Amino acid sequence: MSVAPAIRLTDVHKRYEKREVLAGISLDVAPGSRLGLIGPAASGKSVILKLIAGLEQADGGTVTVLDHVLTGKREVQLGVVRRRIGMLFQNYALFDFLTVERNVAFPLEQRGGMTAHAIAERVAERLRAVGLFGSEHKLTAELSGGMKKRVGIARATVADAELVIYDEPTAGLDPVTTQKIYDLLAADHVRTKATVIAVSSDVAALAGFVDEIAFLYHGKIIYRGPAATIADAPDPMVRQFVRGELEGPLQDVRPEAP
Amino acid sequence: MKALRAARDLWIVYVSTIAGVLRRGGARGELVRQLHAIGNKSVLFIVVTLGFIGMVMAYEACSQLSRITGDYSQIGGQFIRLIVSDFGPTLTALMLATRVGAGIAAEIGSMKVTEQIDALRMSGVQPIDYLIVPRFIASVIMTLLLSVIGGLVMFGAGGLTAEHSFGVNPEIFYDFTQVRPRHLILMCIKALAYGAAIPIVAGFCGLRARGSSEGVGWATTAAVIGGSFAVIVLDFIISAAALFVTGGDL
Repeated sequence: MSVAPAIRLTDVHKRYEKREVLAGISLDVAPGSRLGLIGPAASGKSVILKLIAGLEQADGGTVTVLDHVLTGKREVQLGVVRRRIGMLFQNYALFDFLTVERNVAFPLEQRGGMTAHAIAERVAERLRAVGLFGSEHKLTAELSGGMKKRVGIARATVADAELVIYDEPTAGLDPVTTQKIYDLLAADHVRTKATVIAVSSDVAALAGFVDEIAFLYHGKIIYRGPAATIADAPDPMVRQFVRGELEGPLQDVRPEAP
Repeated sequence: MKALRAARDLWIVYVSTIAGVLRRGGARGELVRQLHAIGNKSVLFIVVTLGFIGMVMAYEACSQLSRITGDYSQIGGQFIRLIVSDFGPTLTALMLATRVGAGIAAEIGSMKVTEQIDALRMSGVQPIDYLIVPRFIASVIMTLLLSVIGGLVMFGAGGLTAEHSFGVNPEIFYDFTQVRPRHLILMCIKALAYGAAIPIVAGFCGLRARGSSEGVGWATTAAVIGGSFAVIVLDFIISAAALFVTGGDL
């Protein structure tokens, strides 16, 4: 008997005013697997993540996550599914009115069912894992970009979610910090076996973390294949994008004429 | 079409806020924080602005009377009646629409553009419950309290002006006999309606913020304009309804 995918997108369309961002996306992600999404800027990668998290609604098609159809559901019903999902936002989205400790504890406090002592222990364990033990009482404004990212990761993984979404987990970070972050995400995946979907512009680093990579172009997934061989993908557009070549079939990666 | 959609969204925020209040949504500590932010931090602003307005109004009224009859015996009684039934709550609310409305819209708007609202939703929290409900309850309570304080200050400042500029006897000016229970009821209704409208309009504008700091600026401006407009329109509607109910004998 085949296992139902953790994420299933069927012919999903999404439009913002006149611009069609997603033009019939279909995608399955198996439970426990890790999928990376790549593509040119504004190709709809983050929109897909928001659809999976139930933060946006599709205009057409069906989004099914953890056996729940999200399409057309109300906020309260979506909240039930979201509690099983961890998400790292592109710009951290840390609560600036809370300390590091309270930020990480927030999903557990809202979920309920844990004592304050158990939450404090769990938060301390997560902060140790991301190397921020000792910074519990700092406000997020006092942190560097890399530290904020690590707080975001601690918050996304504190509840041991069944599905974890990473939107640009290493954007703006130096190569050493980038590698540290990916090592951290990989160690976490070994521990939780959660399904992971990640978007990143750093294809080389992403390929070292995920099992498969899907390439998004003009609102469609035009390629999906093993992460390890993405640089040698049979599709010339994927090869051009991954290798960062200006000449090739991709039309919108060339610099604009003056 | 956009206006209709905005009206529908405003209605949804209103209904969701009332539902949140009924199911006791929002964190308890947050309510205390908002009572302090909306109430305590606005007292000085309200006292100073309504005090000055009271002085100007009393001076103008005395000045007009001195040219016509020179009889100041009714001025205090009529002044407090007007303050209780209209100027106290309405001017207080207009001041709160600028100070509190702008603050709420900027706070929620910046949370919206930095994805903090989405982060709340990812934790299974209803943003309206968490952000608007405590501000709504605090605003309703504090608008009523500040209307009473502002009205008293306005009356007191008016009395001092009348005494020092026109020699009006304070015992004649501070005449509360003209105030009837219906005026107090009208003040309470207006203060509660304004107190409810300001955070809902401001919260709605904050939740509609898009983009970056420009979006937050738009939300703040829209909240001040929308909140002030709501206060003026509600004043008209409630006053008209009160006149209708009392048969014009207000």
